[in-house]
Amino acid sequence: MRDGIGLDFGAARARIRSDVHELGNVLADIYRSFPLEEPAGFFDVTVRLRRGRGLRRYLRSQIELVFDGETLFAPFPADTHLPMLEWGLNHVLAQRLGFHLLLHAGVVERDGRAVIMPALPGSGKSTLTAALATRGFRLLSDEFGVVRLSDGLFLPLLRPVALKNESIELIATFAPQATIGPRFPKTRKGTVAHMAPDDDSVARRHEPARPALIIFPRYDPGVELEVEPELPSRAFGRLAVNSFDYEMLGPAAFGAVSRLVSSCRVYRLVYRDLDRAVAAVRELLSSCR
Amino acid sequence: MTSTRHLLAPHMRLLLSALDNASSCASLNANSWDCLVRTARSARLLGVLAARIGQAGLTGEIPEAVANHLGAAEAESRYLRQMTLRQLAAVAELLRPVGTRLLALKGSAYVLRDSTCAAGRMPRDVDIMVEQSRLNEIEQALLAAGWEYEKTDPYDQHYYRAWSHELPPMRAPAMPLELDVHHTILPPLGRLRADAQALFAAAVPVAGTDWWTLCPADLVLHAAVHLYQDSEWIGRLRDLVDIDGLVREAAATDPRFWKVLGTRAQRLRLGGPLWYVLTLANDWLGTPVALAPGELDALQPREPGRALVLALSRRCLAVGDPEGESGWRDRFAYAAMSLRANWMRMPPHLLLYHATRKFLRSLRRERGQTLDT
Repeated sequence: MRDGIGLDFGAARARIRSDVHELGNVLADIYRSFPLEEPAGFFDVTVRLRRGRGLRRYLRSQIELVFDGETLFAPFPADTHLPMLEWGLNHVLAQRLGFHLLLHAGVVERDGRAVIMPALPGSGKSTLTAALATRGFRLLSDEFGVVRLSDGLFLPLLRPVALKNESIELIATFAPQATIGPRFPKTRKGTVAHMAPDDDSVARRHEPARPALIIFPRYDPGVELEVEPELPSRAFGRLAVNSFDYEMLGPAAFGAVSRLVSSCRVYRLVYRDLDRAVAAVRELLSSCR
Repeated sequence: MTSTRHLLAPHMRLLLSALDNASSCASLNANSWDCLVRTARSARLLGVLAARIGQAGLTGEIPEAVANHLGAAEAESRYLRQMTLRQLAAVAELLRPVGTRLLALKGSAYVLRDSTCAAGRMPRDVDIMVEQSRLNEIEQALLAAGWEYEKTDPYDQHYYRAWSHELPPMRAPAMPLELDVHHTILPPLGRLRADAQALFAAAVPVAGTDWWTLCPADLVLHAAVHLYQDSEWIGRLRDLVDIDGLVREAAATDPRFWKVLGTRAQRLRLGGPLWYVLTLANDWLGTPVALAPGELDALQPREPGRALVLALSRRCLAVGDPEGESGWRDRFAYAAMSLRANWMRMPPHLLLYHATRKFLRSLRRERGQTLDT
C-alpha cells in the first residue's frame, strides 16, 4: 500500500498510504464492497500511516497519521491502526468539507426518505444507525449528515460504522449476517470494531436523499419505548450545536437548518430494545410525506 | 537580480506560479490540482489562491471537486474576516473608557483597511497595539470584561511581561480568535529596537471605527520585522505574500511610496529586515522594487552572514512537499533561523536561561494533541 489506494465515500474521496502492512488486509475486509481506486488524481484528503521514527519503531511499535506532511496527533500503538485511521479521517473530513453543511448525525434512507439522527452523548446513535442499516435501510453515514447547500439533500459519506464496547456484541447478535471487522481492545474509547457497509449502500453512495424525519434518539435501559414529537425550535438548536461547520458557514447554514427542520417531522425516541426502536422508526417514517 | 525560483521543488514552483498568474491554472490536470491544493493548504494560502483564481474569472472552468475546496477556503476566510471585525468592535467598545489610541496590527489592520492582501487570508488572532504607559489599564479592562490568559504558566507570564513586546495571548468565550496586545513591534531588549512613539505619530485612522493602523510604509516594515524576528520559522510564506500585496497596493496608490518607505526604514533603523524581505519577495513573487538606485543596497544589513541568512530563509519559506517529510536540512534551517530570531530578541544571558527552560519543558510535554473523537 505504499503508493496508496483511493476510496470513494460518496461526498468525499480519500487517498490512503501506509507502510503498516497489517492494515492492508483489515482495510480490504471492511471496505470489501468498495471499489479500490488508483491513487492518482485529485482527492479530498490524503493520509499516510507511518511507522514511528527512530527508537519508537522498535521499542513501542508506534505509528502516526500524517496529513499533507503534518502530524496532527500524537503517535499511537501499532495495534490500533484501523480505529486511529478511521478517527483521523473523521477529524480531517470534518474540517475539509466546509462546502457542505456537516451535521454530526447518523443518516439512513428508505423509500426515498432520509432519517437523520443527531449524535448527542448517550444517544447510541451509531448503534441505532447500524441496526437500521441491517434492517432494510440504506446507510449514508453513521457520523456525518452531509447537507448539500444548493438543495438541502443529504449526501452519503459512507464509511464503516464504528461500534464500541457492548454495541459490538449487540449488533453482532441483532444482525448475524453483518460483516464486523476485528475487535481492537485497547483504544481510548474501549473496544472498537467496525461494521462494513452492505453492497447496496456502497453501490448507491452517490445517490442523495431527501430528508423526511429527524429523530433525537436516547438509549435508556429503564424505559421500554417512548416516542414524543420535538419542537422545531428546539430541534433547530440541537442540530446547529451538533454541526462541524455551522458557525463557519453563517447565513447559509442558518437557512439550511431552518429548511431542514421545516421540511421534516421531528421526534424524540427513547429506547432500550433495538427491534422495537427499528420498528418505531419504520412506523414514523411511513407517516411522513 | 535573477530569480532562484527555478531551483525550487516542483510543488513550490507550482504554487508560486499559480499565485503569480492564476489564469495559468486553467490548464492544470487532476494530479497537478491535487498537489497545488495540498501545498497551498499547508502554506495556509488556499484562501488567497482561491481569491486570485476567482478574480481571474476561472471558477467556472475548474473541476468541481477542486472548486469545492477553493470555495470552502473562501468561506472560511470570510468567516474569519467577520470574526476579526466583530472582535475589534467588541474590544474597542470595552476599551473606550480607557481613552487611549488603539492601533490594529497585521491582518487586523489589513481587514480594517480593506487591503487587497486581506482577500483569502486565514488569521488565527487579532493583534493590537497600545501605548506602554496605558498597558496596565488596558489589561485590567480586558480581564474585567472576561478575557483570560491562555498561558497561565508563571514563567510564560514573566517572559512576556519582562522581555517581550506583547502581553501573553488572551482569549474570550465565544471569540474564536486570540487577542495579542502589543506595546511596540519589537522585543524591548532585542538587537533591533522599535521606536513606538514614531509608529504612533505616523499612524492613520480608519474612518467609521475607533481604530487606527500603521501608515502604509510602517505596515510593510512591521510585516518585515515580524517575519524576521518571529521565532517560528515554519509556515511563513504567507507573510511574504502579505508583504508583496502591501507593497504593490501602496505603490499603485501613492507615487511617493518608495521614497517614503526608504526614508522611514532609515529613520526607524529597520533597513535590514526590509532588505531581506524585498529581496525574497522580488525573487519569488516578482514584487517590483522601485527604491532609488543604490538605496536597496544601502539598506543591506551589516551582519556578515547575510547570504547565509538569505539561503536559510529560502529553505524555511519553501513549503514542505505534501508527499514528503522535512529532511534534516530543513530541520536544521528552521532551528538555525529560530535560534537567530531568539538571538536577536534578547541578550545572550537571558537567551541561555530562556532556552534552557524551554528545553526542559519540552521534555515533559507530549508531542501533538491526542486523537479523541
